[in-house]
Formats: sequence, structure tokens, C-alpha cells
Amino acid sequence: MTFRSVFVALVLAGTLIVAAFAVNSKRPRVVTEQPTAALVRASGKCAECHSNQQYSVVHEYELSAHARKNVNCLECHRVAEGQKGRDHHGFTINTKVTAANCRACHEPIYQQFLRSRHAGPSWAAVAGSEPFTAQQIAFSEQFHPRSMKRPPHPLTHLEGESATQSGCISCHSIGKPNADGSIGTCAACHSRHTSSVELARLPSTCGQCHMGPDHSQIEIYAESKHGVMFEAQRAQLNLAAEPDKLSTRDMFVPTCATCHMSGLNGLAVTHDPSERLSYNLFAEITDKRPNFARAQAAMKDVCANCHTREVVERVYREAEAVVANTNEKVADIKAVVAGLHKDGLLSDRPFADPIDFEYFDLWHYDGRTSKHGAFMGGADFVQWHGNYPILKHTVEIKSMAKELRRNHAKKP
Amino acid sequence: MPRSLEWYRSHRLGLEVFVFLNLAGLAPDIYLAHSTNAFREWTEYVPLVYSLIAPWLLLAAIAALQFGGKPAVWHWLGNFVGWASVLVGLSGLILHLDSRFFQEHTLDSLVYAAPFAAPLAYTGIGLLLIMNRLVDHESVEWPGWVLLLALIGFGGNFLFSVTDHAQNGFYHWTEWIPVVSSALAVGFLAVPLLIVVGRPYLALCAVVLVIQAIVGLLGFYFHLAADLHGTSPNFVENLIYGAPVLAPLLFPNLVLLSFLGLRVLNCHLRRAPALSATVDRNPEKVG
Repeated sequence: MTFRSVFVALVLAGTLIVAAFAVNSKRPRVVTEQPTAALVRASGKCAECHSNQQYSVVHEYELSAHARKNVNCLECHRVAEGQKGRDHHGFTINTKVTAANCRACHEPIYQQFLRSRHAGPSWAAVAGSEPFTAQQIAFSEQFHPRSMKRPPHPLTHLEGESATQSGCISCHSIGKPNADGSIGTCAACHSRHTSSVELARLPSTCGQCHMGPDHSQIEIYAESKHGVMFEAQRAQLNLAAEPDKLSTRDMFVPTCATCHMSGLNGLAVTHDPSERLSYNLFAEITDKRPNFARAQAAMKDVCANCHTREVVERVYREAEAVVANTNEKVADIKAVVAGLHKDGLLSDRPFADPIDFEYFDLWHYDGRTSKHGAFMGGADFVQWHGNYPILKHTVEIKSMAKELRRNHAKKP
Repeated sequence: MPRSLEWYRSHRLGLEVFVFLNLAGLAPDIYLAHSTNAFREWTEYVPLVYSLIAPWLLLAAIAALQFGGKPAVWHWLGNFVGWASVLVGLSGLILHLDSRFFQEHTLDSLVYAAPFAAPLAYTGIGLLLIMNRLVDHESVEWPGWVLLLALIGFGGNFLFSVTDHAQNGFYHWTEWIPVVSSALAVGFLAVPLLIVVGRPYLALCAVVLVIQAIVGLLGFYFHLAADLHGTSPNFVENLIYGAPVLAPLLFPNLVLLSFLGLRVLNCHLRRAPALSATVDRNPEKVG
């Protein structure tokens, strides 16, 4: 045996081994540096099938911050506490990702969300308190009195299950309790595989639900100077800025999230929009929220990033005047309708008489629109879509009430 | 040795039996492998069907030669199986790469795509059959080709070990063992094809090959142990989706092929103390 033959053999073998180490070292750290072998496999194995079966799912994930931060499929699809796992081609996964999965990494955000009306109260509006545990009800009631201890909205029953399923639930499920004990889904705003902060900052995302005559925020925003400037300068905004570093240099024009949630110029980020909302504008008769003073101060701090204090105070003063005025108008008509009920001229069942719809439209559509318009810079919505129909409905309701009483008096 | 046992000494027949066993063994292997994909594409049935039919055709060819005295039947039937095998292997290579790599052209897609080198097992087997018919089995060229194909097989094992274990991110250090060992096999088996070697070197090659066999059996144990503790609800699913239990057996399998080549080469070396299959082209008869 010659040394040459052994030398050549070892050089060849050594070259292959070094090449293998070198190539492996070039692999992305997202792939190689995972806490378990299953997570390593998931980083590429999932995409092998799903990029053929649901390309958009994989592509959306690849675009996400999760992908950039080495979070792979299995991290979100792992079985969280309270969830049932299912075997999936050698992986044990959970296909129904809920807030329980997101909170594994984003617990403080989940806690903020739980305090918001987006959580339990939104689902209670269509399903009542029945689906919730006593603990969940008690928790939300601290922040939003009467929001959880309530029956389902009567329209859910009157309009039927299909209307509720394809209509109300689509938005209100943002706060649906999950079988694993958590509440809600983060995907409502951030989408599933995109998991995007940028998406959540878009007005159109909020506008998926905050639209239409009963909560026409997206229409009001579009009319406002904020919305017009967003349309014009959207391309120059940095909607993907890191939440804790977001400044007015990134978002020099606000979207819904900028004012209601973002940590602009060092302010605290919140996933509880109620932290900056001082009035229950959605209510029949608007009252102050339990955290009125703190919430108003917080929102004014946000406004102050772009506006002088004088302007902010003026906007609040004028908007509060609209709220007070709308409350008076609604209370006036509420008293008329209540009087009819008291005198037995109307059915006790909800939405049984035409006047019920007139009154519901008055406060639920026109009243809300007027108040939201006032706070959000939507002049047309304060007047033509707010106070004008309030006046119209007021006249109509009073006329209908007079007619009802006249007819009632004629009865033998 | 009695005439009835002479087939033991026939390396040409030995190679045929080796190929037969490999073709037959590929059926369960391919069934498990493509079950991972639930046979989503109809083309995934092709190697399975081929692996179920080809061994019988080859068996008929061997019988025609050994018992029927019909070398022409052996020749043509074997060639048919061999070329079909080459075709199945090359098509498989393209289809496996087409599963992801051709779209992305990244290292990642190469690692996580269907194992691109796996179908080449068919090509290797097919080439062995064709070689066994085209090359004089008593020439020194014959063991050279066997060793070359075994060497390529170990090269495939090297790629397999790197890409398959890269899917795990080489989570356990033991996953580097087959990479190192198959690299050694490639290095040592390449030498007789490149430079003149003697019998002592072949003895060293035999030691290296024994190590390969041990590594393969060890890998079989590790893969089986992983599958026994897999996350799937039953063992069969763990076999399908877990560590490929049959894959490490490629090592001892190639060791058998290499030993066949080394044994014949050793016989030649007994007559000529030092030669290389690439240098010495004079066909020397071996008995």
C-alpha cells in the first residue's frame, strides 16, 4: 500500500466533508437554529406541500414579519394549552389558530386586547353572555359595564340564523370565545399568514367592520382631511414601521390605528382602543366611559403630535357639543316612544312596530353617525348623514306617535 | 467445489442477484416514500409498479441463463429491465427537482424538495444490469465498473445524508456520522479508479467498507428508534412520515456491491501485483 493512495483517498473524503460543513453553514439561521428538530423540519417541509396546494398561504407567510424573525409554521400551529392536537404528516399541529397561539409570544398585547370592546363585548352583542364563563364576563364588565351581562341583540333572532352567520358574526367573531379558553382572533386585523402590522394600520382593515350606516367610521375617515391626505400620500408613509419605533416621520398622516392604537413618537402602543376613547359614542344616549379623563388625555396626547393644543381643545369642545345636542334629541324621542310603550300603544316585542325601526334608525344610524362625524372631522356626516335624518326621523316619529294616539283614542 | 455450487463463484451472477434483491427491495421503500405524498401525482405509481414487475422479469432472465441455457434471453430481457430502470431513475430525478427546486433554485428548495438523488438508485441498478451484459465479466474492466457504480452510490449516500439530515438542521450530532463515513467511502473507492493500487490498499478499502456497514446498521437503529417514538398515532404513519427507516440500509447494500467489485479486483491483483482499472486495459481472465 502506498502513501499516495491513502493520501488521495483522505483528501477526497476531506474535501467532501468540508464542503458539506461549508454548505450547511450557509443555510439561513431561521432554518438551522430552532429549539427542536420538528421546528427545523417545519421551516421547509410544510412549504414543500403547501406551496403546491395553497401557494398564497406560503407566499403570504414569506412576506410576513414572522418569516423575517425566524418564526416558522409550526410555532403558530403548535398545540397551545387547551387545544387538541392532530397528527399531520409527522407533525402534531393545531389547524385552528386562535389568540391562545398568538399569546404564547404576544401576551401583553393579548391582555390589552382582552380589555377592549373588540374582545368579549363584541361577541356578546350577537350571542349574549351565554357563551362566556363567569370569569370572562366579570373581567370585561370591569371595563365595559353592561357589555357582557346582556342578551343577544334582538335582530339576530328576528333576521334569522343565516343572516347572523354570514352577516353579524363575520365582524363580531373578533371576540368570540374559543374552545381553548382564549377569546378572539388576532387574524381579524392582522390576517392569518400575513400577520401584518402594515395591514392592521390600513384604514381599509378597520373599514371591513367599521362601515355602513350604524358605524360609518371608514366613510367619515374618507371624507376627513386625514383620509384625503392618506389617499394622496399613502406611498410615502412607512406603514410597516416597527410599532415601538413609530414616529410622525413614518406616519405623518394618520390612519385609524395611528390615533387609536399606535405608539406614535414614544407613546405607549395599545391593542385596547378604549384606552383613548372617552365617550360611549355607540350608545343610545352617550355617556362618559369609566376611564373618561385618562382616555381623553391619552387621545389628546396623540393629537398633539400633529396639532396645537388649541386646535385639539376646539375639536373636542365642538364634538362634545354635538354629543350633548344629539343626546338631547335622542332623549326627546326616546321619551316619546317610551310613552307609547307605557300607554300600551306599542308591542312589548322588539322591532314589532314601524315606529321601532324609525327610532332605531334615529339613534343607531343617525345619532351615532352625527357623533362619530363630529370627533373624526366628517362634516357631512355630522349634518347631512347625521342631524338631518335625526330631524326627519324626529318629525316622522312624532307624527306616527300622534297618529297612534289618535287611532287609540278612536277605539271604543 | 461441486458443479452445483459453482454459481457462488460467478460474480456475474452475483451481480444479477444483487440487482434482483435491490429491485425487489425498492418496492416497499418507494411505497413508504411516496406515501408521504399520498401518491398525489400519478407518476408516483410508476416506480412502484416498475419495482413490482421488474424483479420477476430479471428473475426470468437469470433463469434463462442459468437453467435454460439461453444467453440471448438473459441478454435482451436484462437490457430491457436495465434501460427501463435508467429511464425511471432519470425521470424521477427530473420530477423530484420539479417538485420545488426548478421554481426556486435555492439551497433550501433542494433540501426540502423530494429527495432528488433518490431516483438515481434505479439508474444505478439499471446501469449495473447493462454493464453486466456489455462488459466482459472476466476482464479487469468489470470490477472497475462495479467499483465506480458503488462509488457513485456512496456519492449518492453522501448527498442523501447531507440533504436529509439538513432537514433536521443536523439537530443531533450523530447525523453527521453518515456524511463523514460516506465521504470516506467515496474517497477510498475513487482511488483505484485514479491511480495504481495494490492488494494491501484493497484490504484497507475493505476495512472502510466494514465501517460503512456498521454506520448503516447504526442508522437503521436510530431511524427505527425515532419512528418507534414518533408523534403519529400509529407505527405505520411514523414509518411514512418519520425518519426513513430503510434509507440507512443503503450503506450495507453498497458495501455488498463494493465487496463484489473488490473481490474480483483482488483476483486480478493476485496475478498482477499492482494495477488500476483505468490504467491497465488488458483484460485478464479470472477464474
